[in-house]
Amino acid sequence: MIGRSTSSRNVARAEEPIVYVVDDDASVREALRNLFRSVGLRVEVFGSAPEFLQSELPDVASCLILDIRLPRLSGLDFQVDLAKAAIHIPIIFMTGHGDIPMTVRAMKAGAVDFLTKPFRDQDMLDAVTAAIERDRNSRNEAKILSGLHAHFATLTAREREVMALVTAGLMNKQIAAKIGIAEITVKIHRGHIMRKMAAKSLADLVKMAQALDIQRAAPPQ
Amino acid sequence: MVSAAMRNQTLKSWRSAEESLLGGMALALLAAACIWLVLGPAPAVAGYLIAVVLLFALLLASLIMMHLAGSTRRQMEAALEGRARAEQRAIEALHESEAQRKEVFEHNPVMYFMVDADGTVLSVNTFGAAQLGYLVSELRGQSVLKVFFEEDRDLVRNSFDVCLTDIGQTHSWEIRKVRKDGSALWVRENAKAVRRLDNRSIVLIACEDITERKEAENALRQSGNYLAEAQRLSHTGSFGWRVATGEIIWSEETFRIFGYDKAPSVTLDMVFQRIHPDDRAQAQQTIDRASSDGRDFDHEYRLLMPDGSVKYAHATAHAVTDVSGGVEFVGAVTDVTARMRAEEKLHEAQAELAHVTRVTALGELAASIAHEVNQPLAAVVANAAASLRWLDRETPNLKEARSALEAIVNDGNRAGEVIQRVRALVNKTADQKVPLDVNEVVNEVITLLHHELFSHGMSLRMELAPALGPVLGDRIQLQQVILNLVINGIDAVQPVTDRPRELVIRTLQEEVHHMLVTVSDCGVGFAAENADRLFDPFFTTKSGGMGMGLSICRSIVESHGGRLSASSNVGPGATFQFSLPMHQEDHRL
Repeated sequence: MIGRSTSSRNVARAEEPIVYVVDDDASVREALRNLFRSVGLRVEVFGSAPEFLQSELPDVASCLILDIRLPRLSGLDFQVDLAKAAIHIPIIFMTGHGDIPMTVRAMKAGAVDFLTKPFRDQDMLDAVTAAIERDRNSRNEAKILSGLHAHFATLTAREREVMALVTAGLMNKQIAAKIGIAEITVKIHRGHIMRKMAAKSLADLVKMAQALDIQRAAPPQ
Repeated sequence: MVSAAMRNQTLKSWRSAEESLLGGMALALLAAACIWLVLGPAPAVAGYLIAVVLLFALLLASLIMMHLAGSTRRQMEAALEGRARAEQRAIEALHESEAQRKEVFEHNPVMYFMVDADGTVLSVNTFGAAQLGYLVSELRGQSVLKVFFEEDRDLVRNSFDVCLTDIGQTHSWEIRKVRKDGSALWVRENAKAVRRLDNRSIVLIACEDITERKEAENALRQSGNYLAEAQRLSHTGSFGWRVATGEIIWSEETFRIFGYDKAPSVTLDMVFQRIHPDDRAQAQQTIDRASSDGRDFDHEYRLLMPDGSVKYAHATAHAVTDVSGGVEFVGAVTDVTARMRAEEKLHEAQAELAHVTRVTALGELAASIAHEVNQPLAAVVANAAASLRWLDRETPNLKEARSALEAIVNDGNRAGEVIQRVRALVNKTADQKVPLDVNEVVNEVITLLHHELFSHGMSLRMELAPALGPVLGDRIQLQQVILNLVINGIDAVQPVTDRPRELVIRTLQEEVHHMLVTVSDCGVGFAAENADRLFDPFFTTKSGGMGMGLSICRSIVESHGGRLSASSNVGPGATFQFSLPMHQEDHRL
């Protein structure tokens, strides 16, 4: 069950989402492994938080199912530690005996769901599906943003300045007047910007600027 | 008086001598008269001569007679004197014997009474009178009843009557007499009626003071009575057992305990007949050992009485060696049924209380217990869902489904065990002492406490000695002790915020025959002045505590032959520990 994956399949499964389970109770751990495998989900189980932290986490959509009751480090504390380490992964909490203060604390800290043992399998699967979807989206967003950042990094200082003004809604003429260059030069910069940022339209560029928070980044001259 | 009698005797003999002399002279005068009659009244010279001759002859005859009479008198006097001396001696002897008799009569330390048929004292000896505080004269002529107690007088009369109808036979009896001053003395009277020459019956009585003996007897009887009473009250009988002869002596109470009528001889068979069949073998073993090694023994057994009732007896015996070197056991057997029943009652009450505190403790653990059940339940549900999905596939994966089902079986059992454990703790159970692995007992309890520890932010460290031998104990009771100690530890740690909240449970072999379980916390500890009271019932430092926990724990541990104690740690917190004797297969506990 454990050594099932082969190197040939690893490549194929590179994009497969992963469910991580951290529970000190072996039987619960293995039962969850069974459940997720039965619906074809890739699953990794850990007996403790440190074990999870020490493992290599592939950059795929994933979620973490965490028992709130963990030896030494409670699930809630672990949640805080993950946030501090900038590991953003949707967390679904499990507890044997739910209590309101814990739930509130977990949800406030960003838990996506909270399941009380024993939980219905469908609830767990739904929660996992939703969490993975959320992670996939956030990962996509992050990927796009990092692409934008990379594109943005190729712009010259003048081009960044022009992009900020363009996306702020200024006309070429106004930009030329504002930064004291010829209108034609503004047009050339704009062309470069559109190409470097791979923007299809001005609206597209505006969205990018918003994502990159350009207004702030632009030096006010 | 003696000399006067002697003189009389002498005078008498003189008179007879004179009588002989006078007789002689009268004879001579008669002879002279005869001669005068023969010769006639006309005397002649020849007649005168004859008369003179006759007178002369008469004188001569008188002289001869006188001489004869004198010699006779001397002889008589000598004889008389001898006789008088003999008489004197006899009298002296008689006198002496009389004196002796009188001496004996008067001063023999025996009281003599001579009483007539009407009960009037005819005579009493000085000693007798003195013993009763009277003068002889004060008793003589009085009714003999005077020296008896009012209530004893009928007895005296009867005894007298018996003597009087059975003349010549000695009768004896013991009775009290009363002194002039009213005090009593015990006497043994030997009495015999005799008929006097005048045909009147009198009773001769000799009595001997037996007051001391009587007092000793009474004291003995009293002490015997006290002993019997004490035995009866304490339900303790005594016995003696001479091993060589098999002779057994029982006290009254022992007969009562064994339910036998008092009998002159007792046999071991009689003892074994009463011993409960289940206890016979062991009792036999004790008796056999004692008879062979002659050492003190002490054992308990049950008696099955003919009416089917059961008694508990405790016998203890001390061996003594008699002069001939034979061993004799002197012992006591106590009917401890009442004590056993009381102990049973006490035990029941304790068990009841233990149960209540156990259930109370479990109530505190409700959350933990729910968690412990939910955990395997969650696994069951997940595995069941998984196996359904494996089966629902287009090509059902039976291997995966099977392994999920196997997991369900295990998890189901695990949940069942938790429930069982809780039920066992909740149930009232008679104590069942069986060989137990203490580590296992600790682990079982801890499974119920994980969540409790967790929810109080505590970590648990277990240092259980491997390969610890078994102890003989009641699983539930020992679990209760551990449960209580751990809950106490958790409570003690609650106020602590400045250090890791840790609880350590250790098991270790203490000595060859003992093992130790310790529960150490790093909590607030206990004040030295409370150290002695920790185990007292109703002593608590917790606002919601009943104060019974540790008290129950101590009685549980002690009923297992162990000891529960508390000590302050060198660092913060306290350690509670209990020792238990290791179970040895070949020894009955």
